[in-house]
Amino acid sequence: MIQHTQGSRLEVRGVNKFFGEFCALKDINLTIEPGELVCFLGPSGCGKTTLLRIIAGLEQQSCGTLRQGDVDISQKPPRDRDFGIVFQSYALFPNMTVIDNVAYGLRSIGMPKARVRDRVDELLAVVGLEDHARKYPAQLSGGQQQRVALARALAPSPGLLLLDEPLSALDAKVRHHLRSEIRSLQKQLGVTTIMVTHDQEEALAMADRVVVMNNGVIEQVGTPLDIYQQPASAFVASFIGAMNFFDSAPVNGQRVRLGNRELDLVRPLPATPDGIRLAIRPEDVHLLPQGDGEWEGQVQAMDYLGAFIRTHVRLHGVELDLVVDVDPRSARQLELRVGGAVCLNLPSDALHCFAA
Amino acid sequence: MPSFHPGKTFMMDSSVPLTSPSRRAGALSELRQRVTGRWLFALLLVLGCAVLSLLVLAPLYTLLSKSVENKAGDFVGLDNFAHYLSSGGIESAFFNSLWVAGLSTLVVVGLAFMAAWALTRTRLPMTGWIRGVLVLPILAPSLLPAISLVYLFGNQGVLKSWLFGAEIYGPIGIIMGSCFWTFPHALMILLTAMDNADGRHYEAATALKASPWRTFWTVTVPGARYGLVSAAFVVFTLVITDFGVPKVIGGQFDVLATDIYKQVIGQQKFEMGAVVSVLLLLPAMLAFLADRYVQRKQSASFTARSVPYRPRRDHRRDVIGAVMLAPTILFILAIIGMAVYASFVTFWPYNLELSLNNYQFGRMDGGGWGAYTNSLQMALGTMVIGTLLVFFNAWLMERTPQPRLLTGVFQFLSLLPLAVPGLVLGLSYIFFFNHPDNPINGIYGTLFILILCTVSHFYAVSHLTAVTALKQLDQEFEAVGESLKASRWRVLFTVTLPLCLPAILDVALYLFVNAMTTVSAVVFLYGHDSQLASVAVLNMDEAGDIAPAAAMAILITTTCAAAKLIQGGLRFWVDRSTRAWRQGTE
Repeated sequence: MIQHTQGSRLEVRGVNKFFGEFCALKDINLTIEPGELVCFLGPSGCGKTTLLRIIAGLEQQSCGTLRQGDVDISQKPPRDRDFGIVFQSYALFPNMTVIDNVAYGLRSIGMPKARVRDRVDELLAVVGLEDHARKYPAQLSGGQQQRVALARALAPSPGLLLLDEPLSALDAKVRHHLRSEIRSLQKQLGVTTIMVTHDQEEALAMADRVVVMNNGVIEQVGTPLDIYQQPASAFVASFIGAMNFFDSAPVNGQRVRLGNRELDLVRPLPATPDGIRLAIRPEDVHLLPQGDGEWEGQVQAMDYLGAFIRTHVRLHGVELDLVVDVDPRSARQLELRVGGAVCLNLPSDALHCFAA
Repeated sequence: MPSFHPGKTFMMDSSVPLTSPSRRAGALSELRQRVTGRWLFALLLVLGCAVLSLLVLAPLYTLLSKSVENKAGDFVGLDNFAHYLSSGGIESAFFNSLWVAGLSTLVVVGLAFMAAWALTRTRLPMTGWIRGVLVLPILAPSLLPAISLVYLFGNQGVLKSWLFGAEIYGPIGIIMGSCFWTFPHALMILLTAMDNADGRHYEAATALKASPWRTFWTVTVPGARYGLVSAAFVVFTLVITDFGVPKVIGGQFDVLATDIYKQVIGQQKFEMGAVVSVLLLLPAMLAFLADRYVQRKQSASFTARSVPYRPRRDHRRDVIGAVMLAPTILFILAIIGMAVYASFVTFWPYNLELSLNNYQFGRMDGGGWGAYTNSLQMALGTMVIGTLLVFFNAWLMERTPQPRLLTGVFQFLSLLPLAVPGLVLGLSYIFFFNHPDNPINGIYGTLFILILCTVSHFYAVSHLTAVTALKQLDQEFEAVGESLKASRWRVLFTVTLPLCLPAILDVALYLFVNAMTTVSAVVFLYGHDSQLASVAVLNMDEAGDIAPAAAMAILITTTCAAAKLIQGGLRFWVDRSTRAWRQGTE
């Protein structure tokens, strides 16, 4: 059995990063618990990779502090920090065999030869590459290279594992497989892990907590479920999954106006002088047989996406377009067809409300 | 360097305890460690800048100041230039240089483009051999074609009648000779530009029903345009700054390069030599700047998603290709063949019996075999010192953390030699290193100064090769090394150097060959005990010993060819022993 690592706790306090006038990161505060897998998720240019590189010491923050365990690492060079890293390109040393790649970090710290060999064997067994030990990276598939990179990063038993878009260079099938493999390996080792990704599905599937970033700020930190069901901002709501948005106006308390109707909300309204935006996920809209629902509309288009049908409905009276996901069986029961009429409800517990 | 905003951090989280004094001391020592780590590399690059300044910038400055001083060393403003102007030097030498270089450029780029097209867009057999023949001239000193042309078209030349009474001694000879030795430079640039064609563009053109002719003008030519421009600038600079060809075959036809030589060696007018050097520096600098400007606009059109172009089988096209290649191949073989033949002929044109008489250099002036062994030593020294210096500096610049300003300065200093003609560099070395106040003027007249001068002369191209190779390595190697607690040095020796070995061998060969063949920079610098083979060719030709000059030129060429073979063997060995890990990457 592979030796367990004690994952370390990481604390990021007030980190800012400027590139000249451009503010790449603005007041980042974040605590990552030992053994946690946290994903930094956001569109390209949101600062997630910069934050990862600052944690690694490959970039210097303009201000702010970093603590790993009890140690202030803010000013330490990468060599004096305790982490392993896997890059998007893997950056495997092409002139070395799998063994030499994995052993590289162990030899740097002067581990005795016999122990290096044992440790490398152990790691190659864990990532399932015993049979490829003497091959060179160019002789391996993308997925195998990825595993070598992972084994190399984990070999010195770092307290922190940093993954920079580790799966984006792979094709979809390998990616899905490696996703669960990395996750179970990480759980087994208990190493604190930060993964940068722009793939929301990946983040939701793997992370204990997701850090959603945009324009250099953290929009929301939460479990995948939190992030999906309770998005803290319109950005998070639109970035993660699909979402319908409508402009609306507050009436009073928890009532809002949509078209010529008023709706009650479960959640309190955001305090904002301007208008508000209502939002609902496509799968949360209830389609009903004709004459049963509060709203009436006409089906404009139907996209068959396999497990469900993405239906575009225009609501009468308010002239709003709504996207509704419906499973094929319900669609048959409702006799959905393009041009046909349909009724629907907008359940108030599924309605989100954001400042405009 | 990090900038601190202690107030801000403090406000953000008041629960963080204030740093205790002992911990602060620890942080300070950490900071110092980090700073020294970074400063060490920056300091080394500063040192690199200083070396290049000493080898290029300082001598150039002395030369410039010399051009505005009189013989006694007093400042005289532009008097020297006015004097040169009134002597008619501008009209003759300056404009002669311009039009001869311009015409040669047109011819060479045209021929090279045709050859590159034939090599990359047809399926002619034996392209490896054809390429080999086409780049042969690069192994010969530029004096060789001039000597050969004398035998072919000179007063006692075998093909004199082909010129219809025109003289080979003059612009015709200079242009023909220049075309011979600059052709490989243009060809290699164009081959690089045209080898990486995207097959998809050709498929798109075919799908859109474009004729071959239209495809040529809309796909092939635009794809090669940066190569064409770059080749033109390179050839123009090479011809206008070359000294060997016009010296041997220029006759009474003055060009700037021979004018400098005459002013300095013939008349000992150093300040006038400096003036002509400045005039020669101008077009070379302009061509250099224009080329850099064009290169900057070039973006990689061949991306990871491109599909390499494979020409289809088309016999008509192959025949056209062969027709385009034939004259150039024949010309190159004729020039080299003539020089080889002439070197063995006992006494041209009266005794055509073959012998080794001309190779008995001990009997002639010019330094004899000693010059040849000097050249070998000088070339080996240049190769070793140059390769080490170039690679170490390029590594510092590309693969270690450096302030951006410093890399900018270093890049400028590294490329500057590209704009400085060899003659100008050589002359400025006289001014700088032979100055009585220079503490290291002891190296003047030794092999060592020849090595330094040659390294600087050919620094830029070597630098570019090294930088290209280093840039191709994954940008994260050092970061991975850091995370695995390996120092940059360990990454350098275990990863970077092994991966760059082919490029290192290329740079070494480039430096060796150029050191063997160069005349221009070293012609001012050799001393009694440091005569060189290439200079011996020049001196023997001047003394009328033209057949021994041809023999020495052939000896130099053979030596370079041998070096090329050794290097080829080493590269083959490297490729074979690293085939396992290169598999699939190329």
